[in-house]
Amino acid sequence: MDRFKLRKAEPKDVPDILRLIKELAKYEDMEDQVILTEKDLLEDGFGDHPFYHCLVAEDPSEQSNNNNGPVVIGFAMYYFTYDPWIGKLLYLEDFFVMKEYRGFGIGSEILKLLSHTAVKSRCSSMHFIVAEGNQASIEFYKRRGAADLSLEEGWRLFKIDKSSLLKMSSGPEE
Amino acid sequence: MHFKVRAAAKEDCKDISRMIMELAVYENMADQVKTSHEDLERDGFSPNPFYECLIAEVPDEHKTKDGYTVVGYALYFYTYSTWKGRSVYMEDLYVMPDFRGKGIGTGLMAKVAQVGVEKQCVRLQLSVLEWNKPSLDFYIAKGAEDLTAKEGWHFLRFHGQTLDTLAKEAPKD
Repeated sequence: MDRFKLRKAEPKDVPDILRLIKELAKYEDMEDQVILTEKDLLEDGFGDHPFYHCLVAEDPSEQSNNNNGPVVIGFAMYYFTYDPWIGKLLYLEDFFVMKEYRGFGIGSEILKLLSHTAVKSRCSSMHFIVAEGNQASIEFYKRRGAADLSLEEGWRLFKIDKSSLLKMSSGPEE
Repeated sequence: MHFKVRAAAKEDCKDISRMIMELAVYENMADQVKTSHEDLERDGFSPNPFYECLIAEVPDEHKTKDGYTVVGYALYFYTYSTWKGRSVYMEDLYVMPDFRGKGIGTGLMAKVAQVGVEKQCVRLQLSVLEWNKPSLDFYIAKGAEDLTAKEGWHFLRFHGQTLDTLAKEAPKD
């Protein structure tokens, strides 16, 4: 295909976004870890307090099965975070193009549009994480100038699960 | 020592800015701090804040030699996991050196955890420099798992010139 369109996601895109989230999770061998539902995505992305923003890529030459317009073939989910040293950042949470649509420059165009959004929103940096086993993605980003802060500066990502959060938050009050 | 943890107000930004610089010095990265207390005021206390902050205060009789009663802070924001939904990310946790070992860091973090749970967050994330053993020990004792070690996650970024270069090539509206 030689033409595709990038646009902001709308509430009607939620089923497609979830479909692509699951495809990306499958690609990372973690499909069973997706517990998010369409209802969550709708409330969290299009409610009073959006927790994320989303871009979708569609193929105008292919109509979707459910009369929703052109088929959605890729997406990028992002939100704004904050670095107390430099201010606002754009954080890229998920970025995926369907397998059959790769190699046409769609991923590159999404990345450029995200960068433009970052600069327009006064962000000095765009951050994201990649699993070290995902060489294809690491190469994709490094070719475009990305720096690996875990390697260069020694940053390690940690998580604390809900059960530990509950334990912490119910500790003795001062 | 008695201390109080409360949500930061706009007026606290000068203290937060002071402590941000102290934490940067501790991490050997002081020259990288570009934000002023005015930036913090604008970014944290407008209708669409980009972060939330808690501060730890001690009574006047325990103030620092420079006269400060605000002795610690935790700066955090909400993130989103496409697998699990709402999360809270704790960006900075800092207690002034003379006030450590008194439960203030634990108190600040417990309050972040409480806020996160109230907002239906499924987890809290944070990052630590690999050489920072006291911090690594502190978080691991609270149940933190090192996802970089366990799952191989690395932080990447496009910054400054590399970001501008990409942005210039974006498709026009």
